[in-house]
Amino acid sequence: MSFEFTLCLMVIFILAAFGAPVALAMIVGAVTYLGLSGQDIALAGEQIIQGVYNSFILLAVPLFIVAANIMNAGSISDRLLTFCVALVGHLKGGLGHVNVLSSLIFSGMSGSAVADAAGVGKVIIGMMTKDGRYQPGYAAALTAASATIGPIIPPSIPMVIFALVSDASIGFLFIAGLVPGLFMGLVLMLVNRYQSGRLNVAVEPRTPLGDLPIITWRALPTLMMPVILLYGIYGGVTTPTEAAAVAATYALLLAAVVYRSISLKELISVFRESARSSASVGLVISAALIFNYIVATEGLPNQIAELLAGWNLTPLEFLIIVNLIYLVLGCILDATTVILVVVPLLIPACRELGVDIVHFGVITMVNLMIGLITPPYGILLFVINGTTGIPIAQIIRQVLPFLIILIVALLIMTAFPDLVLYVPRLFGYQG
Amino acid sequence: MLKMLKGTADNIAAAMLAAMFISFLIQIVSRYLFSISLGWTVELCLTLWLWLVFWVSAFCAGEKDHIRFDMLYLSVGKKARRVFGIVAAVGVIVGFLYSLVPTLDYIWFYKIKKSPVMRIPLHYVFSIYGVFILAIASRYILRLWQLIRDQEADQEPKDSL
Repeated sequence: MSFEFTLCLMVIFILAAFGAPVALAMIVGAVTYLGLSGQDIALAGEQIIQGVYNSFILLAVPLFIVAANIMNAGSISDRLLTFCVALVGHLKGGLGHVNVLSSLIFSGMSGSAVADAAGVGKVIIGMMTKDGRYQPGYAAALTAASATIGPIIPPSIPMVIFALVSDASIGFLFIAGLVPGLFMGLVLMLVNRYQSGRLNVAVEPRTPLGDLPIITWRALPTLMMPVILLYGIYGGVTTPTEAAAVAATYALLLAAVVYRSISLKELISVFRESARSSASVGLVISAALIFNYIVATEGLPNQIAELLAGWNLTPLEFLIIVNLIYLVLGCILDATTVILVVVPLLIPACRELGVDIVHFGVITMVNLMIGLITPPYGILLFVINGTTGIPIAQIIRQVLPFLIILIVALLIMTAFPDLVLYVPRLFGYQG
Repeated sequence: MLKMLKGTADNIAAAMLAAMFISFLIQIVSRYLFSISLGWTVELCLTLWLWLVFWVSAFCAGEKDHIRFDMLYLSVGKKARRVFGIVAAVGVIVGFLYSLVPTLDYIWFYKIKKSPVMRIPLHYVFSIYGVFILAIASRYILRLWQLIRDQEADQEPKDSL
């Protein structure tokens, strides 16, 4: 590591720790590096401008954000919940299962954990805590835990960013998340069943069988969304990026025409809000482009690859070490930043050690999403606290069992790559 | 006045996003229903995306809209925060102003090239990045001024994933 690069890192860390936005800190760090090493300062601007202007796949990010925000603004989440209550509400731990099931379905439409927690999650917390059925902390913790499934089941915004930095196929990455996502849902339901039995919570009355067809019919247009998206991508109709536009259109049609639940005014505010959040993600991505350019100039990824190759690690040992690093980083850093900055460092090592890139991608996603609920910096905890007012400390206390079971699930997925790669292979993935 | 300007900037951002969305739809429809491959839709989308990112970052995003790593910042007292804020602001101002002239030079250089389909001179397309650099530098100069005069409101973290 050169002196210039060390200084560049110091500038980034100091500025970011002192409260400057991560993206601006990275740009200033990059400029410092270029200036000290006698390179053209304009390289920073060049990398950023060309990177944003030329990466077509990134266009999926704003469109998926629009889609998720429309779904949350319309009554789409509510209908989904009514359907889930009819399906599993009467079981032991009923509303908890509803929580997980609705997250699973919602994650097939949106690519963002925060959208999941803030939208459908907020409504289900209201239902769970009504009449003191569940403790608020428990409802919030389960919602946070189930929201982590959002970006695992396709579509997924973090996976788009992963594909950008790793050159892995988005199509295979998306489909590889399917089984892991369902698996996460299953283990969360098991823990919920156990905890609800212990706390002896009330169950919902069974929905009369005769009502089921009409409830399903009402939810059907919503339930079709994941089907349309998956068919679009894997039936060869749309690229994953275009699927994002299809998702947004479909959500808009449902909310505005079918359910008539969104006004023009609300729609405008959805677009304003979406513009802000996509730009803040876009800015970090663009700043990471120049940072990654510098990291590559320094030859850092190859040095790490050589170092790890020297240790003669097996792929499993490598992934376990990576998992530990991610878990620690996930506690303190934001997931986008980790994907953009840390993943490129590890890609050459993956190739060197024969780790499958899609498997690696899914492991990275699951791990970083777990990072969203690990204190102290667990963004989902903040979001739920922000939307519901349930104190962070209460949520943290109850989130622990879910956190542990998700980590166990992560280890199982790490140890058995076939669990992740089976479905992509059915779709022709060679790996 | 400032509020109105900000509202306008927000509406322009929303319009850019909506335009991206629509041109994407035109592209999908034309390709799959009419088997016509349009070049301009992709180019328009990429141009709007570039503009959206830097337009919003320059004029719309408040401090709390940015992704930040602020555990340390939020854990210290008010006085220390002020010092941190001043250091961060000076860093951003110096870094951004230092890169301003070379960057504008780079953007200006593109006046000889035009975008492949819509034939827009590329220095217009790229100019938003120059605007962003200037806006951020000005914004942090203002912030520095406020911090020195000690009028700082608290910040809160936010993320978009």
